[in-house]
Amino acid sequence: MEIEQLEIYDFLRTCHPLNKLDTTQLTSLALGIEISYKPRNAVVLQPGNQNQWLYLIRSGAVTRTDHQDGLVAQFGEGDFFGHKAIERNGLIKNKVTCLEDSLFYLIPEAIYQDLMKQSESFRNYFSQQKNQRLKSALSELTTNNENILIKSRVADFLHHKPLTIAPTTSIKATAQLMLKKNQTAVLITEDNQIKGIVTDRVFCTKVTANEMNINQSVDMVMTANPVCISPQQTGLEAMLQMTRLNIRHLPVVQDGKLLGMLTATDLIHHQSHNPIYLVNAIHKADSLEEIEQLSQQLPTALCKLVDAGLNANDIAYSISSIGRAIMQKVIKLAIGNLGEPPIEYAFVIAGSLARNDQTAHSDQDNGLLLSDEFDEARHGDYFKQLAQFVSDSLSRCGYVYCPGDVMATNDKWRQPIKIWTSYFNRWINTPEPKALMYSSIFFDMRCIYGSQPLFDQLHKKVHKLINENRMFLAFMAANAQQNRPPIGLFRRFVLEKHGAENKSLDIKKRGIMPCTDIARVFALDSGTEVINTQDRLKSAHQAGIISAEAAEDLADSHEFLSMVRLQHQVKNIKKGQEANNYVDPNELSSLERRHLKDAFELISTYQEVLSKKYNQGQM
Amino acid sequence: MFGWKSKNQKRLEKALSLHPKGQLKNFLMTPLADQNRSAEHIDYFVIDFETTGLDYKKDHIISMGFTTIKNGRIQLQHSQHHLVKTDKKLQSDNVSIHQITDDAVSHGITVKTMMNLLLQNLSGKVMVAHYKNIEENFIQSISETLYGHKLPLLVVDTLNIERRIRQKLNQPIYSNQLRLFNLREHYHLPRYHAHNALEDAIATAELLLAQISHRQRQGYQVKLKDILS
Repeated sequence: MEIEQLEIYDFLRTCHPLNKLDTTQLTSLALGIEISYKPRNAVVLQPGNQNQWLYLIRSGAVTRTDHQDGLVAQFGEGDFFGHKAIERNGLIKNKVTCLEDSLFYLIPEAIYQDLMKQSESFRNYFSQQKNQRLKSALSELTTNNENILIKSRVADFLHHKPLTIAPTTSIKATAQLMLKKNQTAVLITEDNQIKGIVTDRVFCTKVTANEMNINQSVDMVMTANPVCISPQQTGLEAMLQMTRLNIRHLPVVQDGKLLGMLTATDLIHHQSHNPIYLVNAIHKADSLEEIEQLSQQLPTALCKLVDAGLNANDIAYSISSIGRAIMQKVIKLAIGNLGEPPIEYAFVIAGSLARNDQTAHSDQDNGLLLSDEFDEARHGDYFKQLAQFVSDSLSRCGYVYCPGDVMATNDKWRQPIKIWTSYFNRWINTPEPKALMYSSIFFDMRCIYGSQPLFDQLHKKVHKLINENRMFLAFMAANAQQNRPPIGLFRRFVLEKHGAENKSLDIKKRGIMPCTDIARVFALDSGTEVINTQDRLKSAHQAGIISAEAAEDLADSHEFLSMVRLQHQVKNIKKGQEANNYVDPNELSSLERRHLKDAFELISTYQEVLSKKYNQGQM
Repeated sequence: MFGWKSKNQKRLEKALSLHPKGQLKNFLMTPLADQNRSAEHIDYFVIDFETTGLDYKKDHIISMGFTTIKNGRIQLQHSQHHLVKTDKKLQSDNVSIHQITDDAVSHGITVKTMMNLLLQNLSGKVMVAHYKNIEENFIQSISETLYGHKLPLLVVDTLNIERRIRQKLNQPIYSNQLRLFNLREHYHLPRYHAHNALEDAIATAELLLAQISHRQRQGYQVKLKDILS
């Protein structure tokens, strides 16, 4: 029988880690398979019994109850179970029951054991704990910067024709030409052949240092027969060449023909992927129209960052930097129009932008903090106009109005310090649901423009309030339990309908938010003032609030979920759609689904930890 | 049922009187399964033919696929697929269904070899097919030609199992409903795309497992005789 021709074989090949096996291994595995069917509610593995199979779910779903902590996990098509019992010499400890009518492919223990010996990816998959699996997934997802340069070709960097002059040109004329063309190097050519190169350094090290006559011809000072590079070589090779020779320019030559000039700056540009340049361009812009235009490059910048394989936290940081630059510029423009503010003030940002966790889909969360000199009659109009201008401009730049109306345009969030203090006082001392919602927004707060000392004043008061009221942490901890990550399957029963979207997983609400909420509670407890989720976890560990393992698990989960969201948004953008947070599980590979499940289970575990730590006997 | 049992007895007696040899003798000497045993613990031989048509007198077998069930589990290792040689030109509409060409069929095994393989693997097991008439009629007709008698056989028809349940419940039956692929959907079995005799045999085997386990769940101890045709 040619098993490779059966659909079963095709199915096996889509299942990680079986897709990492070679043809011989996969064929012998396929031949060893026995197929079994169990109806809904049937017990597949009964604690105390023996199991000698690795189960692969072909269709249907099962639920597994962990004998230790009672945690329930669900598995669906393409998932494995039963290997833990095999590793315990066949002893079943966790009960597995069918949630649906299910068809299983049973892989005999002998084949399982053989593959554990033969295949590293098979071994990694079945021997690692979920947090280790997540870690290796992350390292596969992100590549470091060197890799990007390895992947790039010198040809990718060529954009303009290099400057060329004849050897007889005078040193003075050469310098003038370079100034005029704004170039740092020029090539000296004769009969289309490169004779030498002159860079701006020469004017310092040779011309000025030796007090040369600048009317002499340039070939007196040029570096003859400069080192060249071919367009097929990688960016990394170019970088190494420059470092080794301590030069910053490499003429690009193919078949004796000059194609262009590669500079160190070109390589740095490539390394840093536009965001910095976008931020610079925003700072240089002097009209709202210009900023609006620049803001349209944000989705492209996001795609570039994701495609480059940077990690999610760094990408979100870059995107947030752009967000901050836009907002600062917009406030500056507003003040330019309205005149200097009459009293001390601080424009604050909250939510994802403050956490440096912004992506392509973000709304505005902001507020205005005013000095206590504030007098509604005298100053009210000014700040109202300022807030309106900023908010409307941000909306034009793609930052939608906050659906919860947490914006400085709302009178409530445009208040003097004493009122803000009373808000926090109320939230912290009498936490009710709405208060907790505001707390979670405004505990992630930064000053983006205006008086930092004014902001710090409020900040100090708030932290003092929290330290005096430990009970508040219990409420925040309870609040962090609100959004539960789906445990197990990403199928109809965990998917939610979202307006125009088909049933999909809201990865922000179900994964990233719970993780952010947990980190916030730990951070508040540890007294740290950092806001970024990854930083908070680090600080909470340093303050001894959580173990290194917990910090790492949560950080990895946050990073992985953020990465999945970013990749989903890149897909949105490339399809010409609006970026959103609704991930269709079908767009994920079985491996990604597995890792997603690991991340969700970890978050769920830490929600429990949080609940035990802060809520014991208090709620 | 008594008469039905004796039919197999009669066939066996006739067959033995003709001094069978080799694979056939071995097959005849192996007793048929006990019909009072639990259907879960029976060994099954699940078969599917692709043929040039439905008439066993005129038409030919193009290919044979079979798998076996032991201990309630389908054994991929004991599955086979063979093209069968035939003199008859393949009709174009069948070719498009099975994607088998004349050329491919000419490389197949002979009907005699096919019967030997069948007897060897079917021995001691209960035969299963979806809409058994095709498989059973072709096999018995070939057996008469080759050996001069019909084979004693126990046959389970997954289509009949379903038809009987619906008749019992007084449910109307729509012809399409009882097709293999629609029944599989009813039992939440995955969709198959391919159309090849072995693929169909495995699909039928999976359906049988589902049918038995669902009846079992309803509290019956399903016996072989409950599902025999």
